[in-house]
Amino acid sequence: MDSHQGLGIGRTNLSLQHGHIAVMRNPLTRQGKSITKKAGDRTDVTCDEATSRCSISELSLLHSYLRQNRRSYLLGGVLLFGTNAFALLIPWLLKLAVESLQHPSPRGRSAAFYAMLIIGAAAVQGVIRIFSRTTLLNAARRIEYLIREELYARLLSLDLPYFSRERTGDILSRFSNDLTNVRMLAGFGVLTTINTLIVYAAALALMARISPVLTLSAVIPFPLMILVVKRISASMFRRSRRAQEELARLSSKVEENASAAMLIRAYCREEGELGAFGDINREYLASNMAMARLRGLMIPVMTATGALGTLIVLFLGGSRVIAGELTLGDFVAFNGYLTMLIWPTIMMGWILNLMQRGAASMSRLTQVLDARPTVTEPAPPAEIGRVQGKIEFRNLFFAYDAEPRLQDISLTVPAGMTLGIVGPIGSGKSTLARLVPRLYPVADGMLFIDGVDVNKIPLRRLRDAIGFVPQESFLFSRTVRENIGYGREGAKDAEIEAAARMAGFASEVTRFPDGYGTMVGERGTTLSGGQKQRASIARALIKDPAILILDDPLSAVDSETEETILANFASYYRGRTVLIISHRLSALRGCDLIVVLDDGRIVEQGSHEELLALDGRYAATWREQQLRAEIERY
Amino acid sequence: MHFGGLHEDETLGKAYDRRLMKRFIGYLSPYRREAAGAVSLLPLVAAAKLAQPWLLKLAIDRHIVAGRMEGLPLLTLWFLLLIVAESLFTYLEVWLLQHLGQRVMQDIRLELFAHLQRMPASFFDRTPTGSLVTRLTSDVEVLGEMFAAGIVTVVGDVLVLAGIVGIMLWMNPRLSLVTFTVLPCLVWIAFTFRRRMREAFRAVRARLADLNAFLAESIGGMGVIQLFNRQRTEQEEFTRLNASYRDANLPVISWDASLYAAVETLSSVAVGLIIWYGGGEIVKGALTFGALVAFIQYIEKFFSPIRDLSAKYSVMQGAMAALERIFHLLDAETTDQIPLNPPLKKGGGGGFESIEFKDVWFAYQGEEYVLKGFNLVIRRGETVALVGETGGGKTTVTRLLSRLYEVSRGAITIDGTDIRDIPLRELRRRIGVVLQDPYLFSGTVEYNISLGDDAARGRVEKAARMVGADRFIGRLPHAFREEVRERGVNFSAGERQLISFARAVAYDPEILVLDEATASVDSEAERQIQEGLRGLMAGRTALVVAHRLSTVRDAGRIVVVHRGEKAEEGSHRELLRRRGLYYRLHQLQFRD
Repeated sequence: MDSHQGLGIGRTNLSLQHGHIAVMRNPLTRQGKSITKKAGDRTDVTCDEATSRCSISELSLLHSYLRQNRRSYLLGGVLLFGTNAFALLIPWLLKLAVESLQHPSPRGRSAAFYAMLIIGAAAVQGVIRIFSRTTLLNAARRIEYLIREELYARLLSLDLPYFSRERTGDILSRFSNDLTNVRMLAGFGVLTTINTLIVYAAALALMARISPVLTLSAVIPFPLMILVVKRISASMFRRSRRAQEELARLSSKVEENASAAMLIRAYCREEGELGAFGDINREYLASNMAMARLRGLMIPVMTATGALGTLIVLFLGGSRVIAGELTLGDFVAFNGYLTMLIWPTIMMGWILNLMQRGAASMSRLTQVLDARPTVTEPAPPAEIGRVQGKIEFRNLFFAYDAEPRLQDISLTVPAGMTLGIVGPIGSGKSTLARLVPRLYPVADGMLFIDGVDVNKIPLRRLRDAIGFVPQESFLFSRTVRENIGYGREGAKDAEIEAAARMAGFASEVTRFPDGYGTMVGERGTTLSGGQKQRASIARALIKDPAILILDDPLSAVDSETEETILANFASYYRGRTVLIISHRLSALRGCDLIVVLDDGRIVEQGSHEELLALDGRYAATWREQQLRAEIERY
Repeated sequence: MHFGGLHEDETLGKAYDRRLMKRFIGYLSPYRREAAGAVSLLPLVAAAKLAQPWLLKLAIDRHIVAGRMEGLPLLTLWFLLLIVAESLFTYLEVWLLQHLGQRVMQDIRLELFAHLQRMPASFFDRTPTGSLVTRLTSDVEVLGEMFAAGIVTVVGDVLVLAGIVGIMLWMNPRLSLVTFTVLPCLVWIAFTFRRRMREAFRAVRARLADLNAFLAESIGGMGVIQLFNRQRTEQEEFTRLNASYRDANLPVISWDASLYAAVETLSSVAVGLIIWYGGGEIVKGALTFGALVAFIQYIEKFFSPIRDLSAKYSVMQGAMAALERIFHLLDAETTDQIPLNPPLKKGGGGGFESIEFKDVWFAYQGEEYVLKGFNLVIRRGETVALVGETGGGKTTVTRLLSRLYEVSRGAITIDGTDIRDIPLRELRRRIGVVLQDPYLFSGTVEYNISLGDDAARGRVEKAARMVGADRFIGRLPHAFREEVRERGVNFSAGERQLISFARAVAYDPEILVLDEATASVDSEAERQIQEGLRGLMAGRTALVVAHRLSTVRDAGRIVVVHRGEKAEEGSHRELLRRRGLYYRLHQLQFRD
């Protein structure tokens, strides 16, 4: 479905699979965990959105946002008071007009005079009405803006474990659906509540002035109506969620059918698929019909309640006019006030439902706002000068999803050394690379840069010193220039072009329709996998880091191109520590040291020649790849 | 063919297109009764609505002003009846319309889906899945809106409006004309403000799309943002987009508030006019008090339909655009659709002697041939293994045999009959295909093996046993009734393969076409898969794209496919002895 796919871009790029990170012996994590747990305690208990049962106390956070905008709300309230004051004048003017018509007296005002007043009052109330609505609704938009800003700031501070745990679609839905519910509450909800209170208080008082008994009998159907509207709108909300789910099922059936098109044809299952779709289609129809019945109920209930009031006024009020207790003007005015009450009454039912929904949504937003990263800033941070680039792993142990991923890694990479890392899929190569810039939390005393524990180095300093080329090259939907320049703020065009040249990307960029101004990912100008990888390399190179980490950076190009490109920036390695992961051993031949990982442990290490002489896994893989190259040339 | 488009919903054109409507009306014909019912209720609802102010007029003139109590209770009773009638008729009306609309939507969805089932596999390579989903969901939903708030209610509104105009003119033509002077103003405001709102709203949607796209990208690229310490610049950009979205909303709020207030004001202005001119008429004796009150009530009923008319206009615009896209998809066929039943030339069914690929050429796109003059003969009962590097064309060979794709040049024959002359269903019934990607549907394990086919359903357990899938299925909490989640995410790669083997066995095909999955599995699963394969191929003619040594060894004949051609052919031993391409491939791929 476009609507849900439109929002959903691919999965978290640098993340591993789903799952929790478990770090042993790390006090920071425990602290982080206790905070999230507290957030969980607070939010998980009371709310069940589906049944709209949710404690209103969830709204306390919203309260603070309302307070920030209290001047708008105050002004809005005053304006609402003003607009209603004029609106409430109109039935009274009608009464005076009718009375003047019924008993014209030479000294009294004419009906035409009251007509002019009515038009004047209408104009004034209209103008104030515009301002009252814009004041309050704009304030709600500002609150929405503020909450969204805070949500985004929070996301930026959260670490990769969080993003591999939460589904992207779920986070996006909090930003859209839940935020909308909260905004509705802060805007229309507040507007309607204030408006209703004012209209009720004033209209009832004026009606009571005309006739207390009549007032009482005319509003008899109202409480019933509030209840009925609340019930209907609550069950409409439930039903519409059900219908949404059915629609989602229907979409995924279509998606499934399109993805399995070949299988379905091979097994002649077209008719079976049609039958299965027909079932889902029927169920969706059924829940839509249930919705339709409710919607069908809402309109007559609304018109009937209004008309019932009129009916009561007609009979009881009419009799009183006949009995001489009321004037015809009273009768007309009374009817006018009654009409004014109908809409706010209907809205009350709706508001009660909205408040519960808003509370549930607010609690879902609080969950995000209260989330805390496990990768945290050191306190106090270590004093560290210019990073030289020495990396030390000391008995490093790392578990992911309660499963050990790296064990007993002890390795010293002196500054300026080039380290090659090889190993089968899932052996822990990428995990090792990601620990260095602390993309995942690492326990104290296991990983050192220039002899300082990474957990003691300010995150910013640490990451500034590292150029990282991830396995799946993630580029932003911006220009090529911006993507490469992303590596260093304020990079000049000449520097960007130099970096692109070094990454072997420059000649292709110049062939793009807009050169460096070409948008990545826009229709028709999609970059190939190899081009993305080279852009991603250029982005890391331009950073001029002390440590360069390349996680299988050229898997999408053939081996010869890979070797050419790597050779191209070999001179760049000088004076930097380089960690390079590759599936192609030929690309690693020149490394000072190569380690072979298997199942999270270092199983072999040495130079290319030493490893060949060892005649172990490395040597076997090397021979296999030589053979493959031979077949490619066959 | 191109169905998708980023802003396809933005291009709104006509609110009524005769050609589209005519075709659409055809969908209503099965529901003539509902449609007739809904249409015949319209005048009843209108009458009940219109009679209420009139009763009020009678009550005031004959009883309240005249001071006559007698008869007022009866009149009140009539009033009550009218309220009940209006509520009831409205409810029925809404219900019938929804009933009709929902059913038509269901029919259209079903027709679209059935249409997709007739499209060839290649159609799905070209068409983004997302756009197909949109056709079947959002676009059809828009049609539903047309029923809920579109064409029929407009007719009802027009009836009410006409009735009000008639009654008012009849009561007092001069007062009516005076009152009507606000109408042009109302119509102008409704349409102008609504148009401005639509424009402003379009900007809002564009900004929201930008904001959400940026957000989604941020979540996807969070690692990159943090690695490059760019949180501050990203936050700044987000703030810019967020503020621009907030600001885009402000005009919508202003126009909406203005429309709301203007309509309210105009309605009071009309009341003022009625009092001003009607007062004079009362003094002249040309108007009663009851008529004055009725006038006020009628004019109030006049306003809301006109205010909503412009909203209904955009609903219709949206519906026309959706119809256009839906019909476009329904019409997209012919050029490449495979006829399900081409004329039968020779008798099919029963045994066959040989399958032959004769100088087969094939390109997925244009002139980029994947197969270049491929020749192969498979005899009954034989197992032929296709080996070679990826991209050589092995998988394509298997796809062509069951006509998932059509050969570009050359021919494939079964006993001399071109497969294009065999009814497609019959051909596919005789060939069991195991695709490289073992796709699982959401549903039960049992469903995934039988795919709901009656004959296959009876063989599910036996088939599972034959390929050794029964062991892991037996361990599942619900065995064959275990739920498979979307795409089979709750099953391992090995288990998915075994289920897809069982599927092929359950269909009991004469010819087995197997594209071995390359996904790496652990050694235990590997052993199970090998066993499964033996069970699968036992006693069948098989064409196998092989990635395993065991499969290759078991095959009678091995064909090396290289760059779209047959490079070598022979038995395992022969080919090894030759020390050619197979020898090297063997060293590389098949080291157990």
